[in-house]
Order: sequence, then structure tokens, then C-alpha cells
Amino acid sequence: MSIEVKNLIKAFDEKKVINDVSFKVNDGETLAVVGFSGSGKSTILKLICGLITPDSGEIITSQGDIAMVFQYSALFDSLNVADNIAFALHERRDLRNKYSEDEIKNIVTEKLALVGLKGIEDKFPSELSGGMQKRVSFARAIVTEPNSILYDEPTSGLDPISSTLIEDYIVRLKEETHAASVVVTHQMSTITRTADRVIMLYDGKIVFEGTPDDMLKQDNDYTKQFVQASLEGPMKMMTE
Amino acid sequence: MNGLQKYYRQSATYKIFSGIYEESIDFFDTLGKITLNGLEVIKQIFSGAINLKELIYQCDRFGVSSLPITLSIVGMTSVIVSSQVAGEMVKQGGGNFVGLLMSILIVRELGSIMSGFAIISMIGSSMASEIATMRVTEQIDAIKVLKVEPIRYLFVPRVLSGMIMMPFVVILASAFGVLAGAVTSDLTANLGYRAFFDSAWLGIYMKDLSVSLLKSLCFGGIIALISCSCGYYASGGAKGVGEATTKAVVWSFVAIVIIDMIFAMIFFF
Repeated sequence: MSIEVKNLIKAFDEKKVINDVSFKVNDGETLAVVGFSGSGKSTILKLICGLITPDSGEIITSQGDIAMVFQYSALFDSLNVADNIAFALHERRDLRNKYSEDEIKNIVTEKLALVGLKGIEDKFPSELSGGMQKRVSFARAIVTEPNSILYDEPTSGLDPISSTLIEDYIVRLKEETHAASVVVTHQMSTITRTADRVIMLYDGKIVFEGTPDDMLKQDNDYTKQFVQASLEGPMKMMTE
Repeated sequence: MNGLQKYYRQSATYKIFSGIYEESIDFFDTLGKITLNGLEVIKQIFSGAINLKELIYQCDRFGVSSLPITLSIVGMTSVIVSSQVAGEMVKQGGGNFVGLLMSILIVRELGSIMSGFAIISMIGSSMASEIATMRVTEQIDAIKVLKVEPIRYLFVPRVLSGMIMMPFVVILASAFGVLAGAVTSDLTANLGYRAFFDSAWLGIYMKDLSVSLLKSLCFGGIIALISCSCGYYASGGAKGVGEATTKAVVWSFVAIVIIDMIFAMIFFF
């Protein structure tokens, strides 16, 4: 078991954003977490990777690293692509003296090739397109050979073709690393093309759990409303 | 009761006291965070966790890049003071003491405090906004997820560079300030360089130089620590970055004046 979340609760300003949520993700499996904006999807990722602490509940992860691909890439804009990817190898206490500079250079080239990029080591993030920045952040995430990879809206803000490319790399990274992956998204193409299972959040709770095919069957009022992008249904958007 | 409470909450008394309460909470919260970060920086320095490449870059930024503006500000302050003082002192028969007065003023006070103000405006604000931008664009979250300690990576090189470079900046700025005072005294009061420097040496003791260097070391460290801390806890978007930068500048200004006062009380009372 790579990631197991048990009875997780997290509140901000007394509002429970995550309310008794439990799920499991196995090695080599991709779970899509879907829901409206503000339904607590990104909060779940931040709880899993330890950026915030839960009010109660348990998060069990197998030994090894957890990597995260951020919504807006979060590349270090003062470092070039090579230094961004090699950041953990240069700065982490347990990795700092593990590799020589030549080895680090080879690792960077290898990880860049894995996300379909080459020859951009000396470029800075501001010189790259949004899609390329995302792919560099993928390469940075997998540089420590993580057991789990978390993706926070990996295709948001990208054109459909770049989105397809990113979705292909999510699948490819899963196959290459055999990591447990959690993809937070609200794009149907990302769900159907990358996920093995889907959970849907509303008001801090899981309202649907199943495969992408189950979701498309629309025999659940919540998924039906989500897939049809309808204003009519059990989920009410916050209007005030 | 609810109606009364609502009415009370709209009153000026409530607004004044709730404002004071919130400001007090924010003050102690910020002070606590800066102190804790300072302790963590010391711990990291003694554990030998120093990124030399980043330290050299920050030293260049803190000491070399800031030098033109620091020299200008200390030099111009010295020109302003000596142009007003030299003529009057010569008229009153105290021409032999102009150099002494200027050297005491610049070496003990103006050199370090005016350099501190210049560094806060140029380097402190830039550090705070840089780290605040990293915070609001999730770069600091990325550092944490990659299991790198943000205090070691972001704070240690900046605080150390402040402590290393500030004394050099103050030495150069003070020397430039004394020189600017001599030139101004000569131009405005026909004092002559010989007369200025003969008395200037009389006003400078080893104690003055040591205290000035120790003080500037503290200034450099505290400016970097406050700037990093204010940036580190920024929240929101562009507004949050602006607020963090303002906070860093205000806190740094107040902090170095307080430190200056403490040094004056300990060494010159």
C-alpha cells in the first residue's frame, strides 16, 4: 500500500474543508480526485505531502519520497532548468554528497528525456512555455525516484494538445516509476486518460468512488451533474 | 443583547481597542517568528549547513551591489552636516574641532545607521519581496516537498552575507563620509585638509571602530533575518508581497534604531 488516508478531517476557520475522508492508492495505480473548485481537492494533496497537518485522521505512506507537481509548476525562477531538476540532489542533506557533478548532469538529461525535452538545461523558467514548465516540474518531481507522485491540476491553463501531452506523460511516468499517483483535476480528458479510479469530493466528503467508466455512466446524481457541467443537481455552487 | 453587541461593535471605542489588540497580537506573532527563525539560523550555521555558492552570490548582492547607494547616502549626509557646522564652528573659533566632530559623528553613528537605512531600502526590501514571491507562487512549498530545509537554503546565506558584508560596507561608507566632510569643510569654510584631518584623528579611538564594526555586524544580520522572515510568512498574491515588503522595511528600520540605542547605552553612557 503506497498511500492510505483514514478518516481525515481538516478545517479552516471552523469550516471543515475535508470531513472524514478515507481512501487508498496502490503502487502503480492512479487515483483522480475530482470536484468543484474549492471542494478541498488541493488540500488533500497538501495533507498527504505534509505541507499542512490534519486536525484528525491518519495518512499512511510507504517508505520513500512523495513528489508533487504543483498547479503553476512552482519552478525556482532564479535557477535554470538543470539546477531546478537537480535541486534536491544539490541541497538535500541525504543526497548532497551522493552524486558527482557528472552523475547529476546525466540524471538531469535522463529525466528531461523522460518528459520529452532535451537541450533546454541552460534556459530559465521564464523562457519556457506553460506546457514545458509543467514537464520540467515533472522531471524535478521524479529526480528522487519517489514512491508516490501527487499532481495538482496538471493540465489547468494548457491548450488541449498540451493537455494531451501532459496526460500521456502522467501515464508514462506511472509505468516507468510504478509510483502511486494522485491526480487532482476537474478536466474530463485528464480523468479518462490517466486515472484507474476516481473519487469525487463535495462539501468535504466523498460522494462518488469508482472507475472513470462508472463515472461516465452517470447513475450517480453528483457525477451526472459534474459530467454534464449542469447547474441543476445536488451540488450547489457558492454564490456569496 | 445581540442588538447591543452589534451596536457596540460599531462604536469608535470598540474599533480603537480591537485595532490595538489585533496590532499587539500581530507584533508579538512577528517577533516570535523572527526569534524562532533566528535560533534556527544559528543552529543551521553551527551544523555546518552552508551553501557556499549561494553565500558568495548573496555577499556580492549585499556588499558590492549596494555600495554605490550606501556611499552616496553617507557621503551626502556628511556634506549636509559639515556644510552647516563647519562655517559656524570656524566663526566661533572652533575650526580645529570640525574634523574631530565629523569623525566622531560619522564613525560612531552616521556611517553605520545611514548605511543600515540604505541597505534596508535596497537589499532588505528586495530580499523580502523575493522570498514573499517564492511563498505566493508555491516555490517554498516545492522546497519543502523536495525535503530541503527552507531556513537553511533561504535564510542562512542571506543572514551570513549580511553579517560578513555589512562591516565592510560601513568601513568604506565611513571613510567616504569623513572624506566628504573634509572636502565640504574646505569648500564652505576654507578650513584646509590638514586642519580637518589633524583633529579628525583625535576623535577616533579603537573602541569607536570596534563598536561600529560590531554594531554593523548586528545590523547586517538583523536586516537580513527580518527581511527573510517577513517574506517567508507572506500570504495572498501581489498584495501579500507588498505588505510583506513594507513590514520588512518598517521592522528593520525600527530594529536597527533600537539596536543602535542599546549600543550607545552600553558603550557610551
